[in-house]
Amino acid sequence: MTQPFLSIRKLRKAFGAFTAVHDVTLDIPKGEFLTFLGPSGSGKSTTLYAIAGFQDPTSGDVLLQDKSLLSVPSHKRNIGMVFQRYTLFPHLSVAENVAFPLRVRRRPEAEVKRKVADMLALVRLENFAERLPAALSGGQQQRVALARALAYDPPILLMDEPLSALDKKLREEIQAEIRRIHRETGVTILYVTHDQEEALHLSDRIALFRDGRIEQIGTGEDLYLRPTTDFVAGFIGNSNFLAAEHLETVGGASTIRLADGALVSGINANGSFAPGQKTRLMIRPEAFRLERSPNNAELSVEIVDVAFYGERRRIVARTSAGQEIDIRPTSAALAAQDVASSHRPVFFDPGAAFLFPA
Amino acid sequence: MLLDYDRLGWLKAALLAFTALVAAFLLLPVVFIVLLSFGSSRWLAFPPPGWTLKWYQELFADPSWIEAALTSARIATMTAILAVTIGLLASFALVRGQFRGREILRGLLLTPMVLPVVVFAIAIYAFFLRLGLGGTTIGFVVAHTVLALPFAIIPMATALEGFDKSIEDAAIVCGASPLQAKLRITLPSIRIGIFSAAIFSFLASWDEVVVAIFMASPTLQTLPVKIWGSLRSDLTPVIAAASSLLVALTLALMIVTALLRRKLQT
Repeated sequence: MTQPFLSIRKLRKAFGAFTAVHDVTLDIPKGEFLTFLGPSGSGKSTTLYAIAGFQDPTSGDVLLQDKSLLSVPSHKRNIGMVFQRYTLFPHLSVAENVAFPLRVRRRPEAEVKRKVADMLALVRLENFAERLPAALSGGQQQRVALARALAYDPPILLMDEPLSALDKKLREEIQAEIRRIHRETGVTILYVTHDQEEALHLSDRIALFRDGRIEQIGTGEDLYLRPTTDFVAGFIGNSNFLAAEHLETVGGASTIRLADGALVSGINANGSFAPGQKTRLMIRPEAFRLERSPNNAELSVEIVDVAFYGERRRIVARTSAGQEIDIRPTSAALAAQDVASSHRPVFFDPGAAFLFPA
Repeated sequence: MLLDYDRLGWLKAALLAFTALVAAFLLLPVVFIVLLSFGSSRWLAFPPPGWTLKWYQELFADPSWIEAALTSARIATMTAILAVTIGLLASFALVRGQFRGREILRGLLLTPMVLPVVVFAIAIYAFFLRLGLGGTTIGFVVAHTVLALPFAIIPMATALEGFDKSIEDAAIVCGASPLQAKLRITLPSIRIGIFSAAIFSFLASWDEVVVAIFMASPTLQTLPVKIWGSLRSDLTPVIAAASSLLVALTLALMIVTALLRRKLQT
């Protein structure tokens, strides 16, 4: 990692007896797109608001290029922010909204004009300059808000669930816009969302929050393919958890006994387990195979339901221990198989399965 | 819907008739006054035997009427400015504030609306007499401001409640100081409420008579006090003319408010 640009040091925020953020420490290099992901109440927004200056942290520090931001009032932090709700100034035109941060900075008129034109071009709303916010769609309003937040070239852009009020199709469109704008401007972005798909699409790295702490931080691939806790595994992507008994772990590879008595070895272990300890085995739905391959473990199931999902099929199956699991083979892989309400084995690579405490 | 207007049948006619009756009941006295002010009868006979403008000529020829109207306008304007200023600050406290006794404060500020005016008038008369404020413009303005405050606070607090604070926060992140953000973003956004507050508090003072009677002195009289006084001494159609003008100004202000609201909302 390069020299930290923005640094969050042991940030804590307590509201009375409730601690919303527990000593969060985080380094963000310049130009990174970092997403705070987590369920509501996990402390991700509170952390963002502390950076913006709307919340005074109970303790800890926020440093931008080694200078503490905490003693700087919000309006002097020079940070850009896009809010969850529509926050365009209702009485000002689109162009005047984008010009506002430049006008309070008393920039010369020629520069304001040029910058507004550049920004509206960046969000592709050149033809809407004279409209009032009320005459724009929700997606357009958020794009103007983005243009306004970037107009003064802030070193950091904070985005607090900016797309949560939009419908799915529009959300995906604007996600693509945000990626493009991040690429074109190179601005450092801190993005808050509770939508794991959105986090995976957009981010260089994701910090997954849980109960005021960062549960795991890493690239989307890290979190998806190498989750360190069952919470991460459950929050990102779909996952099956099978009851299993831990037998032994040698060099990070565990051997377990599944509920139906089958032994599986070569499982990734997260942490250390005692022999005989009850554990949960996590396997992604798409990690199941319908055909036998070398070194794969076998699980005998009863097929309950098969549904067509376009590129994949979704199979609901029941293990002999009575646990329902979700299997998603590619549609092509399944076409050759006869799966109609039958008992059959399914297979998985133990290296793609993870062991967590029960 | 059960009471769908289009499906009322014969009840529709009954409803229209009833509505017309209520409207007539409310409007007829005003219409009578206006008609009488143009009537030629010295004794306010109705229907008027003929039509004339002489009561208006008499009205405008009498400097004491002009004086009273100007006094009213002056006091109402100052009341409106004061009530809007105090009411705006109070609205921010009531809507945004997180302090103990906020609801009590809200109740206190709105009491003048429910308190019998005569009780308030006697109380403030006794109080101002001691302070030497009786019969002064300041006394008038202060007393009317208390009465006008609820009418100023209600529209402004409502407008402020409907204004998303995130918009003000956005202005602050953009680099505006909290005060700048309020002046340049929040106030223009709630301008309909502020404007309504100004008109309502102007009118609350403009046509107020009870407190004004206690506050007035022979040299300082508002229009309603002058009307009241003349009514008791001699019943002349000039009073009808003065009343008509009072109504006309009130009506004009209401129309301006309605038009501006429509313009600002689009």
